[in-house]
Amino acid sequence: MNSNGGVEIANQSMNELSIKEQEADESVQVTCFSEFSDDVTLHFQIIRLHKQIYAWIGCNSAKFGHLYAAAPTRPSNNVSVTSLIGGDSDNTGLGIARRLVLKTGLNIVLACNIPKNSPMLEAKAEKKLMEKLISLGYTMQKI
Amino acid sequence: MAMETSDPLFPVRQTSLCLDIQGNKTDIIISSYEDHFLVIVTQIGSMGTILHARKEEGVSIDPTFNVAVVFGKRDEPMLAACARKLIEHIRYIFQFILPIDASLCICLLNCYQLLHPCYDFCYICSNSGSSKALVLSLGLRDHSVGTLKGIVSAVIEKIF
Repeated sequence: MNSNGGVEIANQSMNELSIKEQEADESVQVTCFSEFSDDVTLHFQIIRLHKQIYAWIGCNSAKFGHLYAAAPTRPSNNVSVTSLIGGDSDNTGLGIARRLVLKTGLNIVLACNIPKNSPMLEAKAEKKLMEKLISLGYTMQKI
Repeated sequence: MAMETSDPLFPVRQTSLCLDIQGNKTDIIISSYEDHFLVIVTQIGSMGTILHARKEEGVSIDPTFNVAVVFGKRDEPMLAACARKLIEHIRYIFQFILPIDASLCICLLNCYQLLHPCYDFCYICSNSGSSKALVLSLGLRDHSVGTLKGIVSAVIEKIF
Protein backbone atom coordinates (compact mmCIF):
# COMPACT_ATOMS: atom_id res chain seq x y z
CA MET A 1 0.00 0.00 0.00
CA ASN A 2 2.77 2.39 1.03
CA SER A 3 4.82 1.65 -2.09
CA ASN A 4 1.78 2.29 -4.29
CA GLY A 5 1.19 5.58 -2.51
CA GLY A 6 4.85 6.46 -3.02
CA VAL A 7 4.64 5.63 -6.73
CA GLU A 8 1.56 7.79 -7.08
CA ILE A 9 3.28 10.69 -5.35
CA ALA A 10 6.32 10.26 -7.59
CA ASN A 11 4.13 10.18 -10.72
CA GLN A 12 2.26 13.26 -9.60
CA SER A 13 5.52 15.10 -8.95
CA MET A 14 6.81 14.13 -12.36
CA ASN A 15 3.63 15.34 -14.03
CA GLU A 16 3.88 18.65 -12.19
CA LEU A 17 7.49 19.03 -13.25
CA SER A 18 6.71 18.31 -16.89
CA ILE A 19 3.84 20.83 -16.83
CA LYS A 20 6.17 23.46 -15.37
CA GLU A 21 8.79 22.68 -18.00
CA GLN A 22 6.18 23.02 -20.72
CA GLU A 23 4.99 26.35 -19.32
CA ALA A 24 8.54 27.60 -19.10
CA ASP A 25 9.18 26.41 -22.62
CA GLU A 26 6.08 28.22 -23.86
CA SER A 27 6.87 31.49 -22.08
CA VAL A 28 8.18 34.44 -24.02
CA GLN A 29 11.86 35.22 -23.48
CA VAL A 30 13.42 38.54 -24.44
CA THR A 31 17.17 39.05 -24.77
CA CYS A 32 18.83 42.36 -25.62
CA PHE A 33 22.50 43.12 -25.98
CA SER A 34 24.88 45.42 -27.83
CA GLU A 35 28.28 44.91 -29.41
CA PHE A 36 30.72 47.78 -29.73
CA SER A 37 33.58 47.56 -32.20
CA ASP A 38 35.49 50.09 -34.30
CA ASP A 39 33.07 52.91 -35.01
CA VAL A 40 30.03 50.70 -35.16
CA THR A 41 27.56 49.74 -32.49
CA LEU A 42 25.38 46.73 -33.21
CA HIS A 43 22.25 46.26 -31.16
CA PHE A 44 20.48 42.92 -30.97
CA GLN A 45 17.04 42.08 -29.71
CA ILE A 46 15.84 38.48 -29.62
CA ILE A 47 12.27 37.57 -28.71
CA ARG A 48 11.77 33.85 -28.39
CA LEU A 49 8.25 32.58 -28.81
CA HIS A 50 7.39 28.94 -28.42
CA LYS A 51 7.43 28.16 -32.14
CA GLN A 52 9.18 31.16 -33.65
CA ILE A 53 11.94 33.65 -33.05
CA TYR A 54 11.86 37.35 -33.76
CA ALA A 55 15.18 39.16 -33.97
CA TRP A 56 16.11 42.78 -34.61
CA ILE A 57 19.56 44.00 -35.58
CA GLY A 58 20.24 47.71 -35.23
CA CYS A 59 23.33 49.39 -36.63
CA ASN A 60 24.18 52.61 -34.78
CA SER A 61 20.51 53.48 -34.44
CA ALA A 62 17.19 52.22 -33.19
CA LYS A 63 15.45 52.43 -36.53
CA PHE A 64 13.33 49.39 -37.25
CA GLY A 65 14.71 48.78 -40.72
CA HIS A 66 13.38 46.16 -43.11
CA LEU A 67 11.45 43.09 -42.07
CA TYR A 68 11.97 39.57 -43.38
CA ALA A 69 10.48 36.16 -42.65
CA ALA A 70 12.30 32.87 -43.22
CA ALA A 71 11.51 29.27 -42.44
CA PRO A 72 12.65 25.77 -43.33
CA THR A 73 10.71 24.23 -46.19
CA ARG A 74 9.84 20.57 -46.00
CA PRO A 75 10.34 17.96 -47.39
CA SER A 76 13.38 19.31 -49.22
CA ASN A 77 16.20 20.89 -47.26
CA ASN A 78 15.47 24.36 -48.52
CA VAL A 79 14.84 27.66 -46.84
CA SER A 80 12.01 29.93 -47.87
CA VAL A 81 12.58 33.61 -47.25
CA THR A 82 10.66 36.74 -48.12
CA SER A 83 10.81 40.43 -47.38
CA LEU A 84 7.73 41.78 -45.63
CA ILE A 85 8.51 45.46 -45.16
CA GLY A 86 11.05 47.27 -47.30
CA GLY A 87 13.99 45.37 -48.73
CA ASP A 88 13.17 45.67 -52.42
CA SER A 89 16.65 45.90 -53.87
CA ASP A 90 18.49 45.78 -50.58
CA ASN A 91 19.00 42.15 -49.59
CA THR A 92 21.16 42.65 -46.52
CA GLY A 93 18.74 41.21 -44.02
CA LEU A 94 17.39 38.70 -46.49
CA GLY A 95 20.72 36.88 -46.63
CA ILE A 96 21.11 36.96 -42.86
CA ALA A 97 17.64 35.54 -42.29
CA ARG A 98 18.17 32.80 -44.83
CA ARG A 99 21.50 31.70 -43.39
CA LEU A 100 20.20 31.80 -39.83
CA VAL A 101 17.43 29.40 -40.73
CA LEU A 102 19.83 27.23 -42.71
CA LYS A 103 22.15 26.86 -39.76
CA THR A 104 19.67 26.72 -36.91
CA GLY A 105 16.52 25.19 -38.34
CA LEU A 106 14.44 27.88 -36.64
CA ASN A 107 11.42 29.75 -37.93
CA ILE A 108 12.67 33.36 -37.91
CA VAL A 109 11.27 36.84 -38.42
CA LEU A 110 14.14 39.31 -38.73
CA ALA A 111 14.18 43.10 -38.71
CA CYS A 112 17.44 44.71 -39.73
CA ASN A 113 18.65 48.24 -40.45
CA ILE A 114 22.21 47.40 -41.50
CA PRO A 115 23.07 49.63 -44.47
CA LYS A 116 23.42 47.97 -47.82
CA ASN A 117 26.78 47.23 -49.37
CA SER A 118 28.32 46.46 -45.96
CA PRO A 119 29.30 42.80 -46.24
CA MET A 120 31.74 42.88 -43.32
CA LEU A 121 29.16 44.43 -41.04
CA GLU A 122 26.56 41.99 -42.21
CA ALA A 123 28.86 39.04 -41.52
CA LYS A 124 29.76 40.36 -38.08
CA ALA A 125 26.14 40.88 -37.11
CA GLU A 126 25.14 37.47 -38.38
CA LYS A 127 27.97 35.82 -36.48
CA LYS A 128 27.10 37.57 -33.22
CA LEU A 129 23.45 36.73 -33.54
CA MET A 130 24.20 33.12 -34.35
CA GLU A 131 26.51 32.80 -31.36
CA LYS A 132 23.84 34.22 -29.09
CA LEU A 133 21.12 31.94 -30.42
CA ILE A 134 23.38 28.94 -29.81
CA SER A 135 24.40 30.09 -26.34
CA LEU A 136 20.77 30.61 -25.37
CA GLY A 137 19.96 27.10 -26.54
CA TYR A 138 17.38 28.21 -29.08
CA THR A 139 18.74 26.30 -32.06
CA MET A 140 17.13 23.20 -33.42
CA GLN A 141 18.59 20.29 -35.35
CA LYS A 142 20.19 21.58 -38.51
CA ILE A 143 18.23 20.87 -41.67
CA MET B 1 1.54 41.02 -15.15
CA ALA B 2 3.73 43.51 -16.97
CA MET B 3 7.39 44.28 -16.81
CA GLU B 4 9.91 46.52 -18.47
CA THR B 5 12.61 44.26 -19.79
CA SER B 6 15.08 46.58 -21.46
CA ASP B 7 18.44 47.74 -20.17
CA PRO B 8 18.31 51.54 -19.70
CA LEU B 9 21.26 51.83 -22.09
CA PHE B 10 19.63 49.73 -24.79
CA PRO B 11 18.07 52.01 -27.41
CA VAL B 12 14.84 50.03 -27.73
CA ARG B 13 12.34 50.28 -24.88
CA GLN B 14 10.14 47.29 -24.40
CA THR B 15 7.36 46.08 -22.17
CA SER B 16 6.14 42.54 -21.78
CA LEU B 17 2.88 41.49 -20.27
CA CYS B 18 0.95 38.29 -19.88
CA LEU B 19 -2.78 38.34 -19.32
CA ASP B 20 -5.91 36.35 -19.84
CA ILE B 21 -8.16 37.54 -22.67
CA GLN B 22 -11.43 35.72 -23.17
CA GLY B 23 -10.01 32.66 -21.41
CA ASN B 24 -6.81 32.48 -23.49
CA LYS B 25 -3.36 33.12 -22.08
CA THR B 26 -2.02 36.05 -24.09
CA ASP B 27 1.53 37.32 -24.25
CA ILE B 28 2.02 40.91 -25.40
CA ILE B 29 5.41 42.41 -26.11
CA ILE B 30 5.63 46.11 -27.03
CA SER B 31 8.90 47.44 -28.42
CA SER B 32 9.52 51.10 -29.18
CA TYR B 33 12.02 51.74 -31.96
CA GLU B 34 13.06 55.11 -33.30
CA ASP B 35 10.50 55.08 -36.10
CA HIS B 36 8.20 52.16 -35.31
CA PHE B 37 6.28 50.47 -32.60
CA LEU B 38 6.34 46.69 -32.71
CA VAL B 39 3.47 44.99 -30.90
CA ILE B 40 3.56 41.20 -30.71
CA VAL B 41 0.39 39.59 -29.41
CA THR B 42 0.45 35.82 -29.25
CA GLN B 43 -1.75 33.07 -27.91
CA ILE B 44 -0.32 30.35 -30.15
CA GLY B 45 3.42 30.68 -29.64
CA SER B 46 4.13 32.39 -32.94
CA MET B 47 3.69 35.83 -34.45
CA GLY B 48 0.80 34.80 -36.66
CA THR B 49 -0.54 37.51 -38.94
CA ILE B 50 1.66 40.60 -39.29
CA LEU B 51 0.20 43.99 -40.18
CA HIS B 52 1.90 47.27 -41.03
CA ALA B 53 0.04 50.47 -40.24
CA ARG B 54 1.13 54.06 -40.76
CA LYS B 55 -0.26 57.54 -41.09
CA GLU B 56 -0.10 58.91 -44.58
CA GLU B 57 1.61 62.25 -44.91
CA GLY B 58 -0.72 64.77 -46.48
CA VAL B 59 -2.04 68.30 -46.40
CA SER B 60 -5.52 67.34 -45.31
CA ILE B 61 -6.57 68.10 -41.75
CA ASP B 62 -8.14 64.69 -41.38
CA PRO B 63 -5.42 62.06 -41.33
CA THR B 64 -5.35 59.06 -43.62
CA PHE B 65 -4.07 55.74 -42.36
CA ASN B 66 -2.70 52.89 -44.38
CA VAL B 67 -3.12 49.43 -42.90
CA ALA B 68 -1.80 46.43 -44.78
CA VAL B 69 -1.41 42.74 -43.99
CA VAL B 70 2.17 41.85 -44.86
CA PHE B 71 2.10 38.24 -43.67
CA GLY B 72 -0.65 35.77 -42.87
CA LYS B 73 -4.43 36.07 -42.97
CA ARG B 74 -5.71 38.64 -45.42
CA ASP B 75 -9.38 37.78 -45.05
CA GLU B 76 -9.86 38.82 -41.43
CA PRO B 77 -11.03 42.45 -41.42
CA MET B 78 -11.10 42.60 -37.62
CA LEU B 79 -7.33 42.23 -37.52
CA ALA B 80 -6.94 45.27 -39.75
CA ALA B 81 -9.47 47.11 -37.60
CA CYS B 82 -7.35 46.35 -34.56
CA ALA B 83 -4.27 47.80 -36.24
CA ARG B 84 -6.27 50.82 -37.38
CA LYS B 85 -7.42 51.51 -33.84
CA LEU B 86 -3.90 51.33 -32.51
CA ILE B 87 -2.30 53.52 -35.19
CA GLU B 88 -5.01 56.09 -34.64
CA HIS B 89 -4.20 56.15 -30.96
CA ILE B 90 -0.50 56.52 -31.70
CA ARG B 91 -1.24 59.45 -33.99
CA TYR B 92 -3.47 61.05 -31.33
CA ILE B 93 -0.70 60.87 -28.75
CA PHE B 94 1.90 62.34 -31.08
CA GLN B 95 -0.26 65.09 -32.51
CA PHE B 96 -2.13 66.31 -29.48
CA ILE B 97 -0.24 65.28 -26.40
CA LEU B 98 3.49 65.41 -27.13
CA PRO B 99 4.03 68.61 -29.18
CA ILE B 100 5.00 70.94 -26.35
CA ASP B 101 7.63 73.64 -26.17
CA ALA B 102 11.07 72.25 -25.41
CA SER B 103 11.51 74.54 -22.44
CA LEU B 104 8.39 73.11 -20.85
CA CYS B 105 9.74 69.60 -21.32
CA ILE B 106 12.29 70.14 -18.58
CA CYS B 107 9.64 71.09 -16.05
CA LEU B 108 7.26 68.35 -17.03
CA LEU B 109 9.80 65.58 -17.62
CA ASN B 110 9.79 64.33 -14.05
CA CYS B 111 6.04 64.14 -14.05
CA TYR B 112 5.99 62.32 -17.39
CA GLN B 113 8.59 59.84 -16.25
CA LEU B 114 6.66 59.09 -13.10
CA LEU B 115 3.53 58.39 -15.10
CA HIS B 116 5.12 56.82 -18.16
CA PRO B 117 8.54 55.22 -17.57
CA CYS B 118 8.96 54.71 -21.31
CA TYR B 119 9.37 58.45 -22.00
CA ASP B 120 12.72 59.78 -23.01
CA PHE B 121 13.40 63.52 -23.04
CA CYS B 122 15.22 63.60 -26.36
CA TYR B 123 12.61 61.37 -27.90
CA ILE B 124 9.82 63.76 -26.96
CA CYS B 125 11.50 66.79 -28.49
CA SER B 126 12.69 65.11 -31.66
CA ASN B 127 9.44 63.39 -32.47
CA SER B 128 6.83 66.01 -31.63
CA GLY B 129 4.39 66.39 -34.46
CA SER B 130 5.33 63.20 -36.25
CA SER B 131 4.09 59.73 -35.49
CA LYS B 132 5.61 56.33 -35.63
CA ALA B 133 4.43 53.51 -37.78
CA LEU B 134 3.13 50.32 -36.25
CA VAL B 135 4.05 46.71 -36.90
CA LEU B 136 1.42 44.55 -35.26
CA SER B 137 1.57 40.78 -35.08
CA LEU B 138 -1.50 38.85 -33.97
CA GLY B 139 -1.15 35.15 -33.31
CA LEU B 140 -4.59 34.45 -31.88
CA ARG B 141 -6.75 31.42 -31.14
CA ASP B 142 -9.87 33.38 -31.96
CA HIS B 143 -10.52 36.58 -33.80
CA SER B 144 -13.66 37.57 -31.96
CA VAL B 145 -14.53 41.18 -31.26
CA GLY B 146 -14.14 40.61 -27.53
CA THR B 147 -10.60 39.30 -27.91
CA LEU B 148 -9.51 42.15 -30.16
CA LYS B 149 -11.09 44.75 -27.90
CA GLY B 150 -9.22 43.26 -24.97
CA ILE B 151 -5.97 43.39 -26.91
CA VAL B 152 -6.50 47.01 -27.97
CA SER B 153 -7.26 48.04 -24.39
CA ALA B 154 -4.23 46.27 -22.99
CA VAL B 155 -1.87 47.70 -25.61
CA ILE B 156 -3.19 51.27 -25.35
CA GLU B 157 -2.75 51.13 -21.62
CA LYS B 158 0.88 50.07 -21.94
CA ILE B 159 2.09 51.69 -25.11
CA PHE B 160 2.55 55.09 -23.49
